[in-house]
Amino acid sequence: MATASHQRQRSRRRPGARFSAFGLLRQGLTRADWPRVWRHRDLAGSYDAVIVGGGVHGLATAYYLAKNHGMHNIAVLEKSYLGSGGSGRNTAIIRSNYLTPEGVRFYDRSVRLYEELACDLNFNVMFSQRGHLTLAHNDSSLRTMRWRAEVNSLEGVDSRVIDATEVARLVPQLDMSEHAHHPILGGLYHPPGGIIRHDAVVWGYARAADALGVHLHQGTELTGIDVVDGAVRGVQTNRGTISTPVVVNCTAGWASVIADMAGVGLPITTFPLQAAVTEPVRPFLDTVVVSGSLHVYVSQTARGELVFGAAVDPFPSYSMRGSLQFTESVAGHVLELMPALSQLRMLRQWAGLCDMTPDFSPVMGITPVDGFYVDVGWGTYGFKAAPVAGETMAELIATGKTPDMIAGFDLARFADGRLVGERGAAAVGH
Amino acid sequence: MLISCPLCGPRDATEFRYVDERRQRPDPEQASPQQWRDYLYVRANPSGPARELWLHRSGCRQYLFVDRHTLTNEVQTAALARTEGTR
Amino acid sequence: MTSSHRLPPQPGEVIDRAQRFTFRWNGRPYQAYAGDTIASALAASGVRVLSRSLKYHRPRGLLSADFNDPNCMVTADGEPNVRAAHRLVSPGMSVSSQDTWPSLRFDVKAANQLVGRFLGPGFYYKTFMRPQRLWPAYDKVLGRFSHGGYAPTAPDVDRYDQRYAHPDVLVAGGGPAGMAAAVAAADAGARVLLVDEEHHLGGHLRWADAEGLEILRELRAAVQAAGIEVMTDSVVTGRYDGNWVSVLQRSVPGVRERLVKARAKHMIVAPGLIDRPYVVGGNDLPGVMLSTAVRRLVNLYAVKPGERAVVLTANTAGDAVAADLGRAGVDVVRVLDARQDEDVVRIVGRSAVRAVECSDGAVVDCDLVVTAIGWTAPLTLATVSGGRAEFRAEAARFVPVGLPDDVSAVGGIVGDGSTDQLMEHATAVGREAARRASHRAVALAAGVPHARVTAPADTPAVAIPDLRPAAHPMLSLGRTDGIVDFSEDVSAKDLKSAVREGYDSIELAKRYTTATMGPSQGKLEGVNSIAAVAAATGAGLAETGTTTGRPPYVPVSLGALAGRSHQLLRRSPLQGWHDSHGAAPLYAGSWVRPDHYGDPAAEVQAVRDAVGIIDVTPLGKFDLRGPDVPDLLELLYINKWRKLGVGSVRYGVMCAEDGVVLDDGVTGRLGPEHYLMTTTSSGAEATYDWMERWLQTERRQWRVHVTPVTSNYASINVAGPRSRELLARLTDLDLAPDAFRYMQVRTGAVAGIADCVVWRIGFTGELSFEVHVPAGHGLHVWKALLATGSDLGIRPFGIEAQRILRLEKGHLIVGQDTDGLTQAYGAGLDWAVKLDKPDFAGKPELVWQQMRDDYLRLVGLQPVDGAVVPPEASQIVEDGTRIVGRITSSRMSPTLGHAVCLGLLAPHLSSAGTTVTVRLPGGGSIQARVMPELAHVDPEGVRLRG
Repeated sequence: MATASHQRQRSRRRPGARFSAFGLLRQGLTRADWPRVWRHRDLAGSYDAVIVGGGVHGLATAYYLAKNHGMHNIAVLEKSYLGSGGSGRNTAIIRSNYLTPEGVRFYDRSVRLYEELACDLNFNVMFSQRGHLTLAHNDSSLRTMRWRAEVNSLEGVDSRVIDATEVARLVPQLDMSEHAHHPILGGLYHPPGGIIRHDAVVWGYARAADALGVHLHQGTELTGIDVVDGAVRGVQTNRGTISTPVVVNCTAGWASVIADMAGVGLPITTFPLQAAVTEPVRPFLDTVVVSGSLHVYVSQTARGELVFGAAVDPFPSYSMRGSLQFTESVAGHVLELMPALSQLRMLRQWAGLCDMTPDFSPVMGITPVDGFYVDVGWGTYGFKAAPVAGETMAELIATGKTPDMIAGFDLARFADGRLVGERGAAAVGH
Repeated sequence: MLISCPLCGPRDATEFRYVDERRQRPDPEQASPQQWRDYLYVRANPSGPARELWLHRSGCRQYLFVDRHTLTNEVQTAALARTEGTR
Repeated sequence: MTSSHRLPPQPGEVIDRAQRFTFRWNGRPYQAYAGDTIASALAASGVRVLSRSLKYHRPRGLLSADFNDPNCMVTADGEPNVRAAHRLVSPGMSVSSQDTWPSLRFDVKAANQLVGRFLGPGFYYKTFMRPQRLWPAYDKVLGRFSHGGYAPTAPDVDRYDQRYAHPDVLVAGGGPAGMAAAVAAADAGARVLLVDEEHHLGGHLRWADAEGLEILRELRAAVQAAGIEVMTDSVVTGRYDGNWVSVLQRSVPGVRERLVKARAKHMIVAPGLIDRPYVVGGNDLPGVMLSTAVRRLVNLYAVKPGERAVVLTANTAGDAVAADLGRAGVDVVRVLDARQDEDVVRIVGRSAVRAVECSDGAVVDCDLVVTAIGWTAPLTLATVSGGRAEFRAEAARFVPVGLPDDVSAVGGIVGDGSTDQLMEHATAVGREAARRASHRAVALAAGVPHARVTAPADTPAVAIPDLRPAAHPMLSLGRTDGIVDFSEDVSAKDLKSAVREGYDSIELAKRYTTATMGPSQGKLEGVNSIAAVAAATGAGLAETGTTTGRPPYVPVSLGALAGRSHQLLRRSPLQGWHDSHGAAPLYAGSWVRPDHYGDPAAEVQAVRDAVGIIDVTPLGKFDLRGPDVPDLLELLYINKWRKLGVGSVRYGVMCAEDGVVLDDGVTGRLGPEHYLMTTTSSGAEATYDWMERWLQTERRQWRVHVTPVTSNYASINVAGPRSRELLARLTDLDLAPDAFRYMQVRTGAVAGIADCVVWRIGFTGELSFEVHVPAGHGLHVWKALLATGSDLGIRPFGIEAQRILRLEKGHLIVGQDTDGLTQAYGAGLDWAVKLDKPDFAGKPELVWQQMRDDYLRLVGLQPVDGAVVPPEASQIVEDGTRIVGRITSSRMSPTLGHAVCLGLLAPHLSSAGTTVTVRLPGGGSIQARVMPELAHVDPEGVRLRG
């Protein structure tokens, strides 16, 4: 018995699959191929759990189910390719300087998991903890920042209010003139924050989940959920039906569409969130810079591109075509912050879909339908939370008990009138 | 995206403000907490035809009932909320 | 340097030999003619290497010799990432290569080539993981792989602009087809905007034979005669919902770049075709060029591109280039015809082309390799418009299908043919475009109420002649692996190995290798990337599909996107006075306001002891008229309004439907059916929307007119014990305490200005009169008050003094002393909530809140050590770290001489007399006592009622 299990373990880890400098050297010398990062699988007739959405939340949930709880008979269904949704469209900013103690604790756990993720997954996700700076342009944002910094420090998160001089030292490109319409009075500096390679996180989780026996089904679209007597029995897909007692909704912008299949209403509206990059220039911006008043955030990738993001679009939509208005306003706001960048050129714009909730906090956990779990409502901050969301959702599914860390994010809070207090700070975003 | 305002004619969407899905306010004296909070928070969020409330904020300041497809952003109809259904 | 490679005058050349000047390249002087691009001038002087590649720092030279050329990114006069093959060179221009050290010729990082075999695609995902503590150092090293020039640090002195355009038909592309379509549309009566990326109209006709050049002359004349607006050196960068088209215009006098936003009734896409590079070993060596690059160099710029050339051709462009080369005196040593199964096996050389290995085994020495192996149709504009890219295997290219009704395509992206055939097709499409545009105009007009709409003549659709792509052999990947994406330094081998690793769809392979993600965004390398993925998966190009094209079609400067700054800044009519009297500006929302005039504490003192005046113009103000105003007020506010008599005012609080405090303010009844409502400055817009929403959707039968009058009045609050005395000198209104009571309103003349609304309220806690003056006379009244009150000790006071005064008095500020979850009872508004009203916004939630005891409450707090002012947002903690509340407002009270605060506090601590622990942001903590009232000064309200 032990031997069989041992062998199965070994067969999961394919020889030569481990990534390392030595592996690169050997591969370079022998010109041998690397093993596949994940395999194509046939759709099985039944799984212990079906996770809908092959983004970073779904993949992390699958990975931690397999790794922490020994559940291997799991399928992740992705209607397009892995990471094709928000996971590959976000601006890859990681931080934990939230406003509420429960938010700070939750995202702090996520940052810690991210810090160890490369080693844990044996896939370099290139987490660059270059610091995260939110600018204050008026007294009220300075006050909110002090609030955040105080809550953060009580929770042990490095986050502090700095004055204009220190802001100028961190980001010399900023226009610090006092008579600007949005003068920079100071900022909230969060050194552990930074940027990451978002695709690498997707691929790292996918590869590690695959190695643990999880079936990853790309090009597989959910078409229905079978609910009998208030409990999940199975799902229908474009590739066939699956019987399963557990369905996990990790579909972000499409959360309402999937929940509708199970007859569950959600407090969610889908808004596009647009982003853009410039052509690369030599590295000059070490810090992630955010301005809540101007609704813009800027970072420079390792490739030298400046990545711009903003608030979600002003009206709900499932269209990801993007708008000219977005590029105009984001460019205007960036130049208001850093006027010397007017010659830089915007290279590409894109959009993703965000599942916004009324209190800027996720909806995680059980639903009125037995076996139908939600990990949705991630708005514009889902990527930051993926590891901890996967870890806690896996624990809930495997043990049947809601972990304390996500107890406040339950769906029932809306009917009970217990909203989460992130509304103030999360509106500032990223 | 263009919305044809019944008073002003076709105008760019940036002149308008999306308000909410078009919904029925429950009777505040009769509503249970569940019903009231469904009204406050739960949304149909359809991927496809949607019935919405918009405000022509930079125009005639009229609230409009707008029927729109959320995948294509095509606006089928826009009618004055003030008179719609009263005639 | 002299122009050693310049040819004698060519029939279609665009250089002006009469204007000759010098510019600098990497510090050395070079000659150029007006009309030269940076790259053509350098090529004319024999410069072959213009850049180094991203990863391996291989030397790179001209490839396509147009805007898309991936090897031509330079810094020109400090501007990074300039396209040297497009940007016209100017006298004295200083141009340098990018990311080369110590020089373009000897680049240290070329050593990366030696370890290239270890740096496969995504190598960085596979290493630098352990030890974890070294990752920050690796992170910095990886940053050095970024390409491009230096971001400017000095403010840009150039100007950028925007404009709107309303063409009936917008034509994107000014080649023969685009010009013919534009002329046909204009002849059919349409207003036409014709946009072309190049400096001159004409497309490939510019390097045609004599007959072609003659057609070009005629077309240009026809465009001019038809009154078409032409924008050259301009690009259609995107098409958005509703045919909202963005055009980047580069050559506008006095402006570096201009963004034109066009609401086109119809758009015609005519970008022509892009010469596709051949992927074969050595294909990125300087001296390997596309046929179109050579034809440009020879015909437009009279530059001899090499001495000994090998040509690989699969089409007529390749055949023609051989003729061009011959005419230019280049020795064409070998023409390999792909249609005859001849092929290039490998291109050999170290820093430039030295020889070509041919498929028949011959090795031919040469310094120039020209390829014409097939075409890529740039479909971005078509696909962002809703069309799809469909692969036509027999023609070896993608074509656009499924375009919406208001977008058409002409020219090469549709199909092939003689110039006559292309123009005949385009002419028909242009006429049809004009017809559809006129139908669209009528449809739009029909949406405008009271517009006179003439039904369009029921003209039948124009018959469009058939135009389809001609048969063409599929050439993409050669027999050896070469570079696919020149900007990103990604080879066919990289893409294939990515697929074998499991990144086996075009999107995954693209993301993993970064192919197509560089500055040309797939225009040159897109199809070859697909071919490489298809080769590795064994699928065809059609099944492999394309990546999603995204705007902009070419990169657009942030300056052009931003345009001129149009920031709205609202100023009260008194702001000029504030500015000239030492007021520190405070930017609050859209308003600029006086924060203080130098000494806020003294300003407070003046109000408490004598009299002060403050400009409160930004207060939201609404004129409400109609018989049902009381019903509206009952509905919006949590307190009662029905009994408010004429001549009285009342303070009210509004909640949203979730019971959360939304806004507050004073509303007065000026007449039986006439009210004036004030709101917070920041909440004015939202309150207006909120009122109208109820009136237009839920209470449609009510007769209420809401008129925003914020800017109609200059509002001045006259506050302090001597305010009555002051105001009495300027008005005939009876201000006697019994005649004009607290919370009453009068209308009359102040300082000779009629129709002022004066109400007696007390935000500051003092006897005070708020005077709403017709805006144009605001400054007069302000000055009159100051002059008249000089003997009373009058001072103007700013926002900071007002904040202190109101905090001393315990008046809350919505949004500061409340947050996004604070319902009315939590804000200490128990006295105001009237649950016995039948219905009002948010009532159910307040009914339920009243039954609960689990919410934070707003309380007055006083630090035990009155000398310490805990900063706003200091947290109130229990047991060391558990947060039980926070300070929402705090100041040193000049009146009381100790710190005063408001705070939100957990219910078990909120009763008067409780001592709580406040954690200070700088470290340490203090004790504070909960006060019996929110007000610290005059809780009984004696002063304001005096």
